[in-house]
Parts: sequence; C-alpha cells; structure tokens
Amino acid sequence: MSVAELKERHIAATATVNALRERLKQKRTLLLDTDVAGYARSQGRTPVSFGPTDLVCCRILQGHTGKVYSLDWTPEKNRIVSASQDGRLIVWNALTSQKTHAIKLPCAWVMTCAFSPNGQSVACGGLDSVCSIFNLNSPVDKDGNLPVSRMLSGHKGYVSSCQYVPDEDTHLITSSGDQTCVLWDVTTGQRLSVFGGEFPSGHTADVLSVSINGSNSKMFVSGSCDATARLWDTRIASRAVRTFHGHEGDVNTVKFFPDGQRFGTGSGDGTCRLFDMRTGHQLQVYHQQHAAADGEVPHVTSIAFSISGRLLFAAYSNNDCYVWDTLVAKVVLNLRSLQNSHEGRITCLGLSADGSALCTGSWDKNLKIWAFGGDRREI
Amino acid sequence: MKGLLSSMLPVGVPIPHSQDEVEYSFAMEYHGPPVTYDLPRAVPIDIKRIPTAAVVASSSLSDKLSLPVVQPLLAPDPSGKKHPKELIQGSRKIVSPTSVITFDQRDRDGPDCGLSGEFSSSGTLAFSNGHDQSCELSDVIDDGSGTLAFSNGHDQSCELSDVIDDGSGTLAFSNGHDQSCELSDVIDDGSGTLGLSNGHEGSPQLSGGIGVSGSLGCCNNRDESHESSCSSGALRPSGDCKESLDFLNDINPPDWGSTESIQSSHFLSSEISSSKGDDFNNDPDCHAKRTSIVTFLDAESNDSVNEEFGPGEGQVIQEQRGPGTKTKKGACYRCSKGNRLTDKEACIVCNKKYCSNCVLRAMGSMPEGRKCVTCIGLPIDESKRESLGRCSRMLKRLLNELEVQQIMNAEKSCETNQLQADLIYVNGQRLCPEELVLLQSCPNPPKKLKPGRYWYDKVSGFWGREGQKPCKIISPNLNVGGTISANASNGNTKVFINNREITKSELRMLQLVGVQCAGNPHFWVNADGSYQEEGQKNIKGHIWGKAGTKLVCAVLSLPVPSKTTNPCGEEVNNLVNRPVPYYLEHRALQKILLTGYSGCGTSTIFKQAKILYNKPIPFSEDERQDIKLMIQSNVYKYLGILLEGCERFEEESLDEMKKKQSLDQFDDVGNVKENEEKTIYSIGPRLKAFSDWLLKVMVSGNLEAIFPAATREYAPLVEELWKDTAIQATYKRRSELQMLPVVASYFLEHVVDISRTDYEPTNEDILHAEGITSSNGLACMDFSFPKSANDDGSETADQNDSLLRYQLIRVHAKGLGENCKWLEMFEDIRLVIFCVSLSDYDQFCDDGSGSFVNKMLASKRLFESIVSHPTFDQMEFLLILNKFDLLEEKIEQVPLTRCEWFDDFNPVRSHHSSNRNSNSVNSNPSLSQLAFYYIAIKFKRLFNSLTGRKLYVSLANAWEPATVDEALRYAKEILKWDEERENLSMNELSNYSTEASSFSH
Repeated sequence: MSVAELKERHIAATATVNALRERLKQKRTLLLDTDVAGYARSQGRTPVSFGPTDLVCCRILQGHTGKVYSLDWTPEKNRIVSASQDGRLIVWNALTSQKTHAIKLPCAWVMTCAFSPNGQSVACGGLDSVCSIFNLNSPVDKDGNLPVSRMLSGHKGYVSSCQYVPDEDTHLITSSGDQTCVLWDVTTGQRLSVFGGEFPSGHTADVLSVSINGSNSKMFVSGSCDATARLWDTRIASRAVRTFHGHEGDVNTVKFFPDGQRFGTGSGDGTCRLFDMRTGHQLQVYHQQHAAADGEVPHVTSIAFSISGRLLFAAYSNNDCYVWDTLVAKVVLNLRSLQNSHEGRITCLGLSADGSALCTGSWDKNLKIWAFGGDRREI
Repeated sequence: MKGLLSSMLPVGVPIPHSQDEVEYSFAMEYHGPPVTYDLPRAVPIDIKRIPTAAVVASSSLSDKLSLPVVQPLLAPDPSGKKHPKELIQGSRKIVSPTSVITFDQRDRDGPDCGLSGEFSSSGTLAFSNGHDQSCELSDVIDDGSGTLAFSNGHDQSCELSDVIDDGSGTLAFSNGHDQSCELSDVIDDGSGTLGLSNGHEGSPQLSGGIGVSGSLGCCNNRDESHESSCSSGALRPSGDCKESLDFLNDINPPDWGSTESIQSSHFLSSEISSSKGDDFNNDPDCHAKRTSIVTFLDAESNDSVNEEFGPGEGQVIQEQRGPGTKTKKGACYRCSKGNRLTDKEACIVCNKKYCSNCVLRAMGSMPEGRKCVTCIGLPIDESKRESLGRCSRMLKRLLNELEVQQIMNAEKSCETNQLQADLIYVNGQRLCPEELVLLQSCPNPPKKLKPGRYWYDKVSGFWGREGQKPCKIISPNLNVGGTISANASNGNTKVFINNREITKSELRMLQLVGVQCAGNPHFWVNADGSYQEEGQKNIKGHIWGKAGTKLVCAVLSLPVPSKTTNPCGEEVNNLVNRPVPYYLEHRALQKILLTGYSGCGTSTIFKQAKILYNKPIPFSEDERQDIKLMIQSNVYKYLGILLEGCERFEEESLDEMKKKQSLDQFDDVGNVKENEEKTIYSIGPRLKAFSDWLLKVMVSGNLEAIFPAATREYAPLVEELWKDTAIQATYKRRSELQMLPVVASYFLEHVVDISRTDYEPTNEDILHAEGITSSNGLACMDFSFPKSANDDGSETADQNDSLLRYQLIRVHAKGLGENCKWLEMFEDIRLVIFCVSLSDYDQFCDDGSGSFVNKMLASKRLFESIVSHPTFDQMEFLLILNKFDLLEEKIEQVPLTRCEWFDDFNPVRSHHSSNRNSNSVNSNPSLSQLAFYYIAIKFKRLFNSLTGRKLYVSLANAWEPATVDEALRYAKEILKWDEERENLSMNELSNYSTEASSFSH
C-alpha cells in the first residue's frame, strides 16, 4: 500500500470520525431536554444571596516577590503551599499567616505545587519538565535551602499540574505539555502509568490540568489545549474512559465536583462547564456576557467548588473572580468588588478541606484567605 | 423563644434547636421535596439575643429626609446585662436617637444630607460616602443581608415594610437603633474626647443582636485568637460613629469627614491589608464600594482608630482629639493595655509597640520582618539595624520555631531592610546601589556599616569616618565613591599617606614603628603595607613587617589588616564566583531568553556557552550522567534506524534478485538456491534477535527505560552489530535514510566506545548530542563574560560591567506551550535571542495536523507569535542565524527560492560570475553571504512591520565557539545600548542594511 493511498484512507477515516462525532453531538443535544439552571428555575430555585459580609478576606499572605501561580491546602486544613514566579515555594500557616518554609527552587519557572496527604512533603513542577518533591522535614543545606528529595523526571514537556492521590503519599499524578498525564510512584521515582502519548485516545495537545476524584481516587480527569477534558481510570492507562467535548478553547482547569459524579472545567473560551461523569453529558455552561471593548474574552484561569458544590468560584484573566451559583447558573458575587480584593489576576483558587475558607493566589504577589461569613460556616 | 422564632421564619423552615447544631449547609438543597414558594433568605439568628422591634409611625422630621423612627424593644437578654441601662439611655430621647443626631448635625452643617447617610451607614455597614448614600443603603437592603440597614432618606416606607416583612430584616432594624442608642450616648458625653470606657460599655450591648457579629464568626472560626465574635463586629461601627462625630463636632467639611472615617475603618478592618491610605484619598468612589462591614479587630481596638492612620492624617486627628485618647506610655499601641513591663514587640520602622495579643494582627504575615502592615515597604529605623534577625521571647512564644526562623530570615535578607546606598557617602560621593553591593560583598567589608560619611583609601584599603582616624582596613581597590581628599580624616600633621593628611595617632604609630617622618613626607602605602615616598620608585619598607606594629596599633586603637586580606586587587571587583545574597540577585542578573523552532540549534548554542563561560567545570557530574544516558539511548536509536534501513535494503535487494533470477531462471537454475536468502544486507540470527528486540523496544516508545541496564548487557552485541558487514553496508547508504539526523554519523563512528558502561562523554560529544537534558525542558545558566583580550584595555575601568551577571535561559519552542502560553512567565527577561537555522529553507516538517510545512516558514510563524506576544512589548530581540556552514554547503545545489518566503531572492551577481573563483571575499560576497544578508533583511522587515523597532541580527555557526562567543557578546552590547539608548546613533547598528541595498526587489 503506497503512502499516498494510506494518506487518502487516513483522511477519509478522519472525516468519518468527525461526521460521527457530529452526529453524536446532535444526538446528545436532542437528548438534553434541559440544563441544570433550567431545571432549577422550573423548581423555583433562586440564587444564593450574598451579603457584603458573607465572604470576607480575613488573611493576607504576603511574602512572595513574584506572581503566584499555584497553591494547595493540606488536608488537615491549616497549611497552604504556594508557588511563585520568584522561584520559591512557601509553606504558610493559614491561621497565623506566617511562613513555615520558604523553599528555593532549582528552576524558578514553577507552574504548580501540591501538598502530600500527610502534609510532610510538597511537590512542584514547571517548565523544567521535572516534578520535584521536597520533604519538609529534611534538614536544610549550608545555604539554608531545602534539598530536593526526589526528582520525577520523564516528562518531555513542562509539568503543568500535579496532585497527590488522596490518602496515598506515594502516588502522584502529573499533567504535562507533552500531551500526557503520568502516575508516579514517589518513593522510587518511577512512572507507574502514562496516560495518553503513544496510546490513541490520549490528548492531542498540552495537558494543562488534572483533578482526582475525591470519592474514588482511581478516577481522574484532565483538561487540555485540545479543548477537551478526558476521564481516566488509573488502572487502565491505555485509553481514556471518556472524552468530553464542548469547550471552544483550551481547557485551563478542571476540578471534580465534591460528590465525585461530576466535574467542572474552566476554559480559554471564557466559560466554565459542568460535565456529568457517568452520562458524559454537559450539564451546564457558566457564561457571563462581557462587554469588552476589544472583543477579547477573559479566560478562566482557575476554578474551585464549595464543599457542597452549590458555589463555583471561577477566576478570570481580567481580574474578576465570580462566585457562581451552580444550580441556577447566576453570578452571585464578584470577589473583585469586595474589600481587600486582589489587584492582579487571580491565578489559583483552593478551598480548605473543611470548606470553611477559600484561598486565592494572584499576580499581585499575595495570597488571600477568604472566609464565609454569617452563620454560613461553609457553603 | 421558639415561638418567636417560628413566627419570624417562614413555614417549612426547621427551627434550630440550639445554636451549636445549626449547620446551614447548602447541600441540603439537594434533598427534600421541591417547594413551590421562594425560599426565604433568612440570616440565621442567635436565638438568645434577639431583640424585637416595634415600628413607630414615622414622624416626618424634615421635608427632605424623613427617617423612620423605630423604638427598640429589647428582648430579655441573659448575656447582656447592660441592656436595660442602655435602653433607658436610649429612650430618654423622645424620637429615635439617630434622627436626632442627624438633624442636629444637619442644622449645624447646613444642607448636606450626606451626613445622616454617613451616620446610618457607619452604624450599619461602614458604608458611608457622603454622597449617594441613599443608593448604597438600598443596595444593602437589596443584598438581603438586612443586617443593619436602616433609615433611608427617600422612599423609606417601602424599604421599611420590606425590612419588616423579613424576619432578619426586623432584627436588623432594631439593631440599627440599638446602635444609634449607643450613639446618642456618645453624643451625650459630647465632644471628641470620647472616653474609652464609653465605647467599651457600649460594645457588649451592641453586640447583642447584631447580625454582623455572626458574620465574623468566620474569622473566629479560622482564628485561634481569643476575641469574641460578637464584640469584634459590633464595636467597630461604634468606633466609626465616633469618628464621624468627631468630625462633626469639629465642623469639618462633611465629605472629608466621611473619607476620614472610611479611611479609619479601612485601616481598622485591614490590619492585614497592604493598600496604602493615599489610594483611598484619591479615590473615594472606590472605597465607597470597597468598604464593607467586616473587621477583624479585637474589642479593645476602639481607640486604635486614632493610632492606625497613615502618618499624616493620623497626627492631625490626634491633635484634634486632644490628650485624652493618647496611648499611655508603655502600653500596647493597639489595645492600650499593659504597661512597661509587659512583653511587647516593636515595629522596626515606626517603633510602635504591640502586645502579644495584637502583634500578629498588627504585623500580618511579616513579609519583611517585624513591621506593622502599614510600614511594609518602608526602610527600617537605622537604630534598630542591630536587632535585625534577633528574635524576642514573645514571638517565640506566639509562633513555632519554623515560623520565627522564616520571619527572621525575611527580616535580615529582604531588600527594603538593607542599608540604603544613598545614605552612605564615601569620599564625599553618594554611593549607588551597585557600589554598596561591591563594598559589602568584598572579602573584607567594613563592619556594621551605618549611614554616614566615610573616607576610603583605595590604594591601601584604609577606611574611616569622615574627619576621624581610620577604623578599619578593608579590601583595597574597590571602585566605590569619589577620590579621597587631603582632609578626609581631618589630620593636621602635614604628613600624607596616599594624598590624605594623616591624624596624630597615625603619625605616632608610624614613628613608633620606625618610619622616617621628618620633613612632612608624602607616603604612598600599598595594601600589603609596603610604602614609598611619593615620586620615588624604591620601596622603603613594610609597615606591617615589624612585630611591634600590631601592638602599637592596638594601643593607639588603629586598625590592622585582617589575615584574610586579598592581596591581589584584580579579583576584588569580580562578583561572579562569589555567592550573592538573594536580595541582590535580581538586580545584578540580566536575563536572556534563548529560543527558536525545533532543530535550530539553540541547545548547541547553550552548551557552547556553557563550555565557553563556565570554564573549569562546564557540566556537573549529574549533567554528564544525564547526557551520557541520552547519548547512549540516542545511539541505540540511530542503530535502530540503521537496522530498519537494513531490513528495507535487504527486501529491496531480494526483490531485485528475484527479478534477476526470474530473468536468469532459464540459464542458470543451479545457482539460484544458494543465493536465495542471502544478500549483503542480511545479518546473522543472533544479531537478528537483538535487532528485533531493539526495534520492538523502540516501537513501544520506552527506549529510555532500558538504560543504563542495557549498556551492561548489550555493549558486546552492539560492537558486533556495528562491525557486521550488513550494517556497514547500510551505513554507507545512510544518506537514503531520512530519519537519521546529521549528527548520527558522529556518534555511530564511535558507537563501540559509547556503548561501553565506562564511557565518559567529552565536551565535543556533549556538544553534538541532541538536546541538553533528556526531558528537554527549560535550561538556564548564570555566567559573566570573561575579559577577552580585545576589550581588556577599554573596559577595565567600567566597574558596572564586572557586576553584571547574565542568565541564559534556553527554552524549547514546545516548552512554551500552545500559542506560547507560558511566555508570560518571562516578563523579567531583558533580551530575547531568537535562533533560526539558515539551512531550514528547503526542509519540511509535520506541523501536527498532518500537512507538511517549510521549516523556515514554521520558524517565521513562531518568531511572529513571540515578537507580538504582549509580554514582550518593547522587548529587544536578537536574531541569530545559525548553521551558516550548512547553508554554504547547500546553497549552490538548492536555490534559496525553494522557500516561498524567499522567492524574490535574486542576487545581482551576474557580472561577477565570470571571475567568481578568483575574486576576494571582501569585494564580492559569496552567494551564501548574500543569502544570509537577504534572510536577515527579511526578518528585519518582518520585525519592523510587527513592532516598528529594529531587530539585531547576528550570524553564528554553533559548532564554532568563536561565533557563539561573538553572538553572545553582541547580546551583551545590546543590553548595554539599551541602557544608554539616547546616546546611540542608529547608524552603528545597521551595517547589514547597507549591504541590503545591493538586492533588487
């Protein structure tokens, strides 16, 4: 069979696949009789109302000298690790707002960081294509720097996101610019599984984000520049369980819904979406019309769900940070309009494990902790 | 109580049994049957503290502004014992206290209704901006918080009823009046000197029912501290009220008053905020919006309203307030509690002292050490420099060891806490930051440098305060400050050392040591202590040579040179090999980004730069190991490609043979069988097995995984394979193997050595290896340019040059993500070096979507997207046109017009072609040079059309160290020009553009 013939067949096959995909999409839209907001409205649900005191900034974590790119809470809720463009990871005590560790990184271009479930070590990754693990208990070297305790190398592109598998300190999942996600064994530094890459049904562009299902840690979801999100089972590396289409731009961030049955995505097309894991349907689009003069749509940089899932926090590239009511798909609050709001783009969001506080990291070099006011200790 | 609650809550809402059990989780919304009516947005209520309110008919007090009058009726409150008293005080007034106050003030201040609004809002939500207060208030009500909103000027009845309908609203209402009750109290007391006690008394009462207090639960929830949630919220508004009252009493312009009060509230509420007060003054609209009710203050914070202002306004207000509110001496600045003996921590900028309860709130996360939040970013009090990094017991008690350590580190090492260079004068000249760095990082720095005027003898290293004798001998030959003057140390001995008239004690010392000082000599003393008389050549002796000198110096308290004195002055100004404190790093470091399309040779340039500038050890052991593995796995890959080619050739030749055989079949039947399965490309069965295994591993895509184990096992096999005639025959036809990169032959020639376990890559090998690390991620190196022979003379005086360190950051184009997503991380780059391979013009690559594109065009596209990236607005670009050697080889065979972008390349050289072989290069550039100029112009035009600026271009051949060195030095020059741009004429740079005129278009 000649190359030209092969190419022809390939093109034909691609066309067929696209046609099928289109049909699938149509079928889906036929099946979708309503979305969450429509149903909620028909049930008479009204948006959560937010008073000016219901979400307030109660701590400002100052100390980074560069843009903050990532943050993560410990499961036991009172510590935060943050990664910044100044080439440092800082571990904070969220209660006293003091630093406990400032880790100078070998490579300053860090994009992600994560706390291990037991809170003893932190992981970070960035443009150096390596995921570095630091044990917080190891002694500092003569310059006062914490040594890298493990380098997870093997990615062929930048490490865009990393997350420890809940309750397993030895396992970590990273996503990378080489279009793959990898499950690592931290103790040996070996790759346990590679998701995507050589295998078909992997992402076809840089993977930007991962999120592990909180209720079933075998499942995780990844978001990529190919405008899709894919659901993976760590036991089956060879193919994605499901691919979620719908976005029209890079999927910058994915986050599992607290109940573990759905997940949210945030994208460069300016929308957040809620997908159902089991049916593969898109449940809701969260989209705010922006009247930007230059027609530029602000990207969603990061999202987080409140502990009940009723609220979706979404940070946008134009410094907005909306609080969406996930049920009725209405913006109920803009963090930017609050007192002590960030002066720069919010790049990362995270809720503490008990849901009582939200931490935001921003290009203005600060992190802020927001707590729920009123008697809503958590939402 | 329950009945009361159920009457306030709509039907269907469960009544909480006790406060502790209440968990208002919205998750509840998922369960239960759908309701047909709107769910109430009730703010949960603290049952024990519910005051009820009865509405009194609103008495219209003014035409303009009719306020609702609500007489508060307080529910029996077990916790708040003071309520009755407060109530009485409140009801002493006939009408609502708020309105009374408001109108009183109005009468005095004229027709500005802003005040009342301000009042109510400060009472309620600290909203309060003089104007448009009504709208703000209604906003509040709309928000449904309903906490404390009350009394809106217009359409009050409607609001009122609204509020009343809502349970929580009613609560809010009465609260409002509660608040105003307290206010009236305050007014009864009169005047600006509002007693602390008053505020304190008021506070528990206030806190009683205020919904806000609940809102603060969050912070308490998050917060280990002691304060009770109720009081914290409640008190602040009262504080605010007083604030505005003060202003009223002083008959300040009301607008000002409101701004001030907002400001105060802002400061109060944001002891953790970094915002500056100025912003707020300039931007009243903004704070009207931003100011909200929440504060995180302690109950005692009432009076810190005065203290926590910005310096300017704070003073003014304090004066107005009079002495009554001044903090006691020795008391905490925030809570005014404690005395001299209680442990306190002082701000290292303004010296405000805080007790252990307040210190964490006043100082926040201490990014620069122990400073109040408002002092962050300001230079420290010099008298406290000594105590930097010395921790007090109190902090140790409050925080854990790690936290204290971090604070102390930050305090010592953060940039703002460092000595200010412009406070130090050396030889009458103010230092610039670089000079200070040089001074402090020299091997023998002046100890405990304080701001002041110093003299410095550069030749001998003597150092002292201006007008005083020397106090230290520091490293000599530092390029700091001006030239020393004769009276620097205010001597009067008429004896001179290095142009400085020495002091009496120095003269004594010299005499005691036995130096002849008769006749007012002028000495010339070197750093090593050797001295000579001015104008004479011979060294007369060594001051430090004698045993007694040091003793004499000790007696006269004169400095002696330290043992570590570095005698050779040349190294002193060189900062490169010295550890630089973190806070200096970014100042001295000039970052250069090196990038380009894949295969353009950035990694070779990077490695070449490492070899050039990291002289003794260009690659660390780890890096070598990494590269070794990379080379080895690459060699296996090359072998695999060869084996694939071998199989292909074998098939082809078998086909051919079969064809031949079918032709020859009839002539020669007997010979056929012997030759049947054997060609020159066949390999033996053992090697066949190895090659099959290798190909399988390659296909599966984890070639790296088998290393380094593979090297041990298969080294002999590799050797055998390489020597096999089949492979050699294939290798001879390597030009037919498209997959095989150019460098493969370099490594395949040495494959036997390389596949050994004890193989150590040479620099040459490393240079030829593909990539820098196996992960091919970002790589960076710090370097400085060693002084080369040609700039020795001209630049030795350029002291800043020696301070400059460069960081070369090499990123793979793919490493920047789709659409260069991550370029935004490189905002602190000073220069971008974009690399293009000149030989790319006839090469094609897969662009990811299956279609092939010209690599030069792909390069161009990347260049465009990087140049026009918003992060690199106004960035300088240097284009390196790489692989000139390949261009030279190729251009004669393959015309440049193969690439469509270069289709108008039409060098005028027809009249030269006749004598092309004989002419000199200078007068008649070769075709490849013409092509280079042409491409350079193409890129320059492109750059200019995109940015309107000039593109710098350099030529390089990455294999040759000299060309890389030249290109990077050119980069250095660009950075320098960038700094002194105005002095620069554009002609200097454009030697290529003149060449360009020879092209016809």
